[in-house]
Amino acid sequence: MLDTLPFWLELTICFFIVLGACFALIGSIGLLRLPDFMTRLHAPTKNTTMGVGGVILGSLIYFGATTGFNIHELLIAIFLFLTAPISAHLLAKAGMHRQLKLTENTRDLRKKPEQFSDEQS
Amino acid sequence: MYLALMVALPFLGAIAPLLVRHHSRRTISYAAGAVAVVSLLLLGYLTPSVLAGEVPQFLATWLPQLGLHVAFRLDGLSLLFAALILGIGLLIIIYAHFYLSQHDDAGRFYACLLLFMGSMLGIVTADNLILLWFFWELTSISSFLLIGFWFHQSNARRGARMALAITGAGGLALLAGILLIGNIAGSYQLDAVFAAADAIRAHSLYVPALLLVLIGAFTKSAQFPFQFWLPHAMAAPTPVSAYLHSATMVKAGIFLLARLFPVLGGTFEWFTIVTLVGLATMLFGAYFALLKNDLKGLLAFSTISHLGLITMLLGLGTHGALLAALFHILNHATFKAGLFMIAGIIDHETGSRDLRKLGGLRKAMPMTMWLAMITSAAMAGVPLLNGFLSKEMFFTEAYQQHLFGGLSWFIPVLVTLGAMLSVAYSIRFVYDVFFDKAHELPKQPHEPPIMMRVPVLILAALCITVGIAPMIMVSGFLTPALTSVAGADAEVYIALWHGFNLPLLMSVLALLGGIIIYLQRTELFNFNRQFDIRDAKDVFAGIVSRVTRFCDNLMQRIETGSLQRYMAALFILVLVFVIPELMNISALTGSRPQLDVDAISLSGAIILMAAAFGAVIFHRQRLTSLLMLSVVGLMVSLVFIQFSAPDLAMTQLVVEVVSILLMILALFFMPQRIPRSSTGGRVARDILIAGFVGGVVGSITFALLTRPFSSISDYFLANSVPGGGGTNVVNVILVDFRGFDTLGEITVLAIAAAGIHKLLNNLRPFMPSGDVDGRAWHQVKHPMMLQTISQLVLPLALMVSMYIFLRGHNLPGGGFIAGLVTAAAMILQYMANGVDWVKERFNYNYQSLAAIGVLIASLTGVGSWLFGANFLTSWFTYLDWPIVGKFEIATAILFDLGVYLTVIGATLMILANFGQMTTRHRPRQEGH
Repeated sequence: MLDTLPFWLELTICFFIVLGACFALIGSIGLLRLPDFMTRLHAPTKNTTMGVGGVILGSLIYFGATTGFNIHELLIAIFLFLTAPISAHLLAKAGMHRQLKLTENTRDLRKKPEQFSDEQS
Repeated sequence: MYLALMVALPFLGAIAPLLVRHHSRRTISYAAGAVAVVSLLLLGYLTPSVLAGEVPQFLATWLPQLGLHVAFRLDGLSLLFAALILGIGLLIIIYAHFYLSQHDDAGRFYACLLLFMGSMLGIVTADNLILLWFFWELTSISSFLLIGFWFHQSNARRGARMALAITGAGGLALLAGILLIGNIAGSYQLDAVFAAADAIRAHSLYVPALLLVLIGAFTKSAQFPFQFWLPHAMAAPTPVSAYLHSATMVKAGIFLLARLFPVLGGTFEWFTIVTLVGLATMLFGAYFALLKNDLKGLLAFSTISHLGLITMLLGLGTHGALLAALFHILNHATFKAGLFMIAGIIDHETGSRDLRKLGGLRKAMPMTMWLAMITSAAMAGVPLLNGFLSKEMFFTEAYQQHLFGGLSWFIPVLVTLGAMLSVAYSIRFVYDVFFDKAHELPKQPHEPPIMMRVPVLILAALCITVGIAPMIMVSGFLTPALTSVAGADAEVYIALWHGFNLPLLMSVLALLGGIIIYLQRTELFNFNRQFDIRDAKDVFAGIVSRVTRFCDNLMQRIETGSLQRYMAALFILVLVFVIPELMNISALTGSRPQLDVDAISLSGAIILMAAAFGAVIFHRQRLTSLLMLSVVGLMVSLVFIQFSAPDLAMTQLVVEVVSILLMILALFFMPQRIPRSSTGGRVARDILIAGFVGGVVGSITFALLTRPFSSISDYFLANSVPGGGGTNVVNVILVDFRGFDTLGEITVLAIAAAGIHKLLNNLRPFMPSGDVDGRAWHQVKHPMMLQTISQLVLPLALMVSMYIFLRGHNLPGGGFIAGLVTAAAMILQYMANGVDWVKERFNYNYQSLAAIGVLIASLTGVGSWLFGANFLTSWFTYLDWPIVGKFEIATAILFDLGVYLTVIGATLMILANFGQMTTRHRPRQEGH
């Protein structure tokens, strides 16, 4: 329980928050810029896990230092890490089922399995 | 108290025959009979005081603001009728035991009969006009059930409907009349109304009130021109006819006339209308009674005729006429109940009621013949029987009146004519059935079981004893009855012999004329054949179907089924009401200082507006539009957070999730191709309306928010902890301050959910097998990853909802939010694992869950009565436990539990059933 935080602690908190914010920014830019569905799916998933994760870590440290340890942030993180991959997974499945147009670089594993087989590498 | 108990007993007792309906017929009849006997004993207990001139009364306030009290009185008039209702009722119960066939549901029959008995008792003992009307309508309903007892027969159903429609409509007229009277008198209590009699008669609204009351009485008592329903009510089982049409239902109108005679009677309007209607009814009924070939039809029309006679006497209104009316009420009830029972016996033992087929039964049923002869002689007015006495008095009154000046002699002549017809049909009833030549009958006739004859025997004995010794038998009864109708110091004098005078001559003429008419009846039948008589049922059905068609057309024009049109009408109406008010205020911006705009709020507002526009622009791409809508919802919940309303924000958030899910489910059944856009004109209209409504609502909000505004919230804030024991004001308002509101809301929620469930029952929607491009659905219905995670999430979500629920009283949360969270977690199970999977593990009926929720909340409210507090008063205290520390317990949490369960039940009832539409678990009605 501290009234004023020491500098190194403030620095740590800031680091995590800025890290989260950066991920969020990059994720948002990615959502805007990436060329097709599958690649675009990458961006927001980073956003929800890493971006929010960073902010939560910052929050956890801050409130842990000022008002005592709180389970809220942990729960948020658990829920998020449980559910975010699932929604991304479902989105990907839906995208595949709908046979959305993909760019040249995004390759469909089902069509040319030999390109991804172990022998090639 | 005994009085109220006497009236309440048949209502409570109506359950008794139903409880034992699976036992033997004898048990059922005993159960019903016991109820009638106990009521009769209670009446007997009260009788001596009434005969001594007292009026036992009972008063309990019900809705004092409306002038409605549960008030009963037992004056002479009530006693007379109550004795008839209970006495004849008991005889009918005995009789019905033998009459009903093994296939008939005796439990239901007796339950309806007791219900009816209670309603009639209520009418005759009510001390409050509105209460009287209440029982009046109850008799309409219970008689509907009785007349339609054999509901598998079309004419029973039609007859019952007709009786209900006519007497029900008359009841509404009566209510209007009673309201007028009560308004003039300033109270609906009978004593106050009697006291205000002169004021009522002098009032300018006297005539409308009189007419309305008379319509009520005439429809009930089958007076001309409303007489047509009664013959069709003969489709009822004969015990019902005997009860309804001798002693009770049709006498209710007569009772009302007698009851209100001190208030409304004695004026010129009363004389003219009531006397003439009575006279017309008497002649009409007597004429058609003679023509009927159906035994019960004959009795039905003769009932109409006799009711007309009584009505006419009440119209004349002299002391002697009132006495004659009351006396004839008694006499008619005895002989007519007997006659109906005899008709039932004949029908029961021969299988026919047709006078043309019956004949020569004197050998097969000698006992019944004697009973029939006595009762029909009483009906015809043969000396030494009770009918003779009251008819003689009737002739005297008819002869002595001078209502129509020089034309007054018409009345005794017409009355004598009516009496002749009455004699003729009485002869026909006996002669055609028991003498005449025998015909082939469906059954070999023989005497009925002895107990079936006993009720008739009692009634016939009454006819004779009253006829020979009227003063000994009935004067005790009639004196208080006459006192309560005609006023104080009423004297009853009934003599057997008046000497040779004109009324006696009229009696003799009636008897002789009746015999002549009977002998010449074929002439009359031939004459009547010239008229094309239409069945009243068809005429009535025609009118009903015309009215229905008209209403259908009207409804089709109003209720087009187009949501757009309804909303347009609704919004335009809002504009019509709100715009003038808004134009009245001088400036939109009020005096309150405004907050600064910060970047976050601004961007939030921009997103909100963009999403709202997006929802409109993309309205043809439904999913996109829906997503836009959910963005709007999310932004609104963020606004709530910004302005420190965490409860609202949480609720909004969860409601948003659940409602978007619901809409996505609904989308599945919507046409996949979105229909072409509306025409330009309609789009312009919609834009105009929507723009105006948006603008107006925005203006109102802005105007309201910029004005200093003091509300009740300060009171809530101050009293939340001391009064409700919770620091979360929102929750304390919901479960405590406004608990009654919440109770109403969850009830509505449960009802709405049940309604949706019911709608889904019969919905057979088209289920697309693939998406809009014709692509089939994915073969994996329930992806494994989602399944696994959803099962992992469930306990976590339940924990969170429990946490939110428990802390609700003091911190943001509460039953409503917790319920929604639980429901959302459950829906996730349905989505991830499928209905089958959930059904296997959690097969609980959500209807009962919602119902239990409402029940718990209501019981919590009722519980406070045990402690002498008002409904829904909450109680709380603070406990100090080791480890847990000091915490609070409040009854409000029980109430909140009710809310919680209702919300879960209702939400899942809607969503799960909607989701189940595509599976084999589609919602189904029980028993289908």
